[in-house]
Amino acid sequence: MSEAHLTNEFQYSSAGHRAETAISGMWLFLATEVLFFGALLLSWIYCRHWNQAGFDAGARQTQLAIGTINTVILVTSSLVYSTGLAFMEAGNTHRLIQCCAIAWGLGVAFLILKFGIEWHRDFAEHLFPGQDFAISGSLGGGARLFFVFYFVSTALHGLHMIVGLILVGWIILRARRGEFSFIYFTPVVVVGLYWSFVDIVWILLYPLIYLVGRGS
Amino acid sequence: MSATTIETPAPAISYLTDGFTLRSWLLTTDHKRIALLYLGTITIFFFIGGIAAALIRYNLIVPEGMIASAETYNRLFTMHGVVMVWFFLIPAVPVTLGNFVVPLMLGARDLAFPKLNLASWYLFVVAGIVAVYSLLVGGVDTGWTFYTPLTTEYSKGHVVATVVAIFIAGFSSIATGLNFIVTIHRLRAPGMTWYRMPVFLWSLYATSVILVLATPVLAMTLILLVFERIFHIGVFDPAIGGDPLLFQHLFWFYSHPAVYVMILPGFGVISEIIPAFSRKRIFGYKFIVWCSISIAVISFLVWGHHMFVAGTSLYSALVFSILSYMVAVPSAIKVFNWIGTMHKGFIRFDAPMLYAVGFIGLFTIGGLTGLFVAALAADVHLTQTYFVVAHFHYVMVGGMVSAFFAGLHYWWPKITGRMYPEMWGRAGALIIFIGFNLTFFPQFILGYLGMPRRYHSYPPEFEVLNVLSSAGATILAAGYLLPLAYLTWSLFHGERAPANPWSATGLEWTTQSPPFTENFDETPMVTDPPYNYPPFEVVRGHV
Amino acid sequence: MVAWGLLLVLLAAEFGASFLPLARSARPCVLIPAVFMVVVVGTAFMQVKLGPTVVRLFAVAALLWLSILLGLGSLDPMTRTNYSVRAENLR
Repeated sequence: MSEAHLTNEFQYSSAGHRAETAISGMWLFLATEVLFFGALLLSWIYCRHWNQAGFDAGARQTQLAIGTINTVILVTSSLVYSTGLAFMEAGNTHRLIQCCAIAWGLGVAFLILKFGIEWHRDFAEHLFPGQDFAISGSLGGGARLFFVFYFVSTALHGLHMIVGLILVGWIILRARRGEFSFIYFTPVVVVGLYWSFVDIVWILLYPLIYLVGRGS
Repeated sequence: MSATTIETPAPAISYLTDGFTLRSWLLTTDHKRIALLYLGTITIFFFIGGIAAALIRYNLIVPEGMIASAETYNRLFTMHGVVMVWFFLIPAVPVTLGNFVVPLMLGARDLAFPKLNLASWYLFVVAGIVAVYSLLVGGVDTGWTFYTPLTTEYSKGHVVATVVAIFIAGFSSIATGLNFIVTIHRLRAPGMTWYRMPVFLWSLYATSVILVLATPVLAMTLILLVFERIFHIGVFDPAIGGDPLLFQHLFWFYSHPAVYVMILPGFGVISEIIPAFSRKRIFGYKFIVWCSISIAVISFLVWGHHMFVAGTSLYSALVFSILSYMVAVPSAIKVFNWIGTMHKGFIRFDAPMLYAVGFIGLFTIGGLTGLFVAALAADVHLTQTYFVVAHFHYVMVGGMVSAFFAGLHYWWPKITGRMYPEMWGRAGALIIFIGFNLTFFPQFILGYLGMPRRYHSYPPEFEVLNVLSSAGATILAAGYLLPLAYLTWSLFHGERAPANPWSATGLEWTTQSPPFTENFDETPMVTDPPYNYPPFEVVRGHV
Repeated sequence: MVAWGLLLVLLAAEFGASFLPLARSARPCVLIPAVFMVVVVGTAFMQVKLGPTVVRLFAVAALLWLSILLGLGSLDPMTRTNYSVRAENLR
């Protein structure tokens, strides 16, 4: 394994070449994620198009306060992480660890708000599209589909958040072991890209879930 | 054969001798060993899919169906489709020939992410195990296209297990595509500009673009399908307000580009073989490479042509029909360029070239018949008949599988360090060509006459053509078993291969056969254009 | 920090826009500030402009392919006449 690592290093013309390769790889992976969530967006478009009244009736039952707070939390988390990255570029590993810890904490806060509180309330209000769904009648089908979208998209986003938390935690561990310096910190950049991307997905999910159906 | 036989000595060290333990193979990050691991796996799947095909053709010998149960027949053609599409055709060239040849052609030591490469093989193996499990417990009867509501409401087959297998295989595809794209961007040898890269690399780049951008949509589609089946979420159920066509749109958004994933590497292989065996520069290099890229792009714009009679709007169908005509143009340009390459070349009909020439003919027929079904009015009659079956088998089997065998024979000396027996190679190519045409040409006629596909029995007037088709299938099967036999034989008794047995251009031929683990002694410098054969007047003068 | 402030401003704009009396089919316009937020995150936090050229290629490709999926994919439902078979409509 270590031999392969060495031969691989050989084929890069410089450390910068190697770093850029890793960064390019992550961006390409994020492109695949865009298409992954994109398919879910197309489903949103179809479901809303065929059931506009019911879909929006469902959307009005979402918890706007928690959703908005969560958006602010994630955006701030992205800011904090990239601040940590800026510190790392200057060689300040200590500040990097602090920033990553704060970003990590904000991520955990998001998950607690979303799954601990918001989902709990949604279940209590019978908004899970199962047997005893709260909305019935002509709006019932569309509302059901809205909540299908809601639960599937927040669950998938949550899964990606958990992966992101594991990655940020890994960065903290590696930084504490002294593996990064102002010369080499590529994993910090790469994880930051993923973390900001998870943020982007939420930025798009937020209006789709909480805002679009809320009018009139 | 020259009068003085010079024995090519076996290389003392090669990637094959670099470790003999099982661990050194199963934990390797060497792209060449991973390519061989993949080759073994997809060969197994090819034969599983082939057995299903044999049973299908066996059933269709008599009008009432040799296999009593229609349900069994449904499971057979589904198994054939699922295994052949996801476990053979989509991986075939990229993971075997691609994995092996790409770093060598680029002048690199390995791919950009070797551990990801190994992970992609393990994902593929896990997917394969789940697929085999689902087959052993009875399989699924829905067709490889998994249309709702059959899959979500009514099918009694093992839909979830099969879908999970495909989901996992999708991650393997994405990993491979990602690896190739980053490698081609970042690890080219000094002096290898984009326009000095052989066409095979451009083709694999285009293939990887499709893999990376289309497969995630399949992933989400399969997630929704599983949730619909298990939890009845209703997104595809019109009784709740969902849309069954949503499934078809999402499915074909992936699956149409997927068929170009299957054929583009084949184009690349043919683009390597034709110049090598015509000893001539490829005709219209820039046209061919940009056609590959444009196929990758336009392939994403045509998926609706699988849904002309599904209930989509007329406007949508019109748009997709016009776009489908556009996608044929770059493929046609390539065919003209290959023929232009052969024109006034010094042609040798070794086995790879026989397969390649067969490819050109069979792919052209398949591609042109695609245009028949892209026409809305014609498709109303031809859709879901054997015409479509014949069309896609001409491009996929006559085209892609021939290209795979062409590439396998072409790079066999490089991969194994042995020459295959040439006469058997040529015999295999001819038997496959004859068997293939006998199997699938009657199916064009059957489809035109109206025989539907996926039916376990048929009206008696179609019997003769079906019997011809099944007879052809027997010959085709023999044709596929032959290379399995003589290629395996050549591993132990084949003539040792020199570094460049075909006197071809390309960096992969500058290193020994088989290569040693690091591929090159020192990083090659590239100064020549690709296919730098001498002008044909010089070559012809040597005849 | 500027970027963060900009994001909060856009978020507020989006929040406010959701109270505008837009027609049902025009409601998705509420997403416009969100699109700008994505651009801000991509440029400020993900440094899409500073990295190697190829990352811009990947980002543009992702957006282009997303628009193909959503655009060409929406063509059918937007132009199709739906004959509802919802249970309540069949009575």
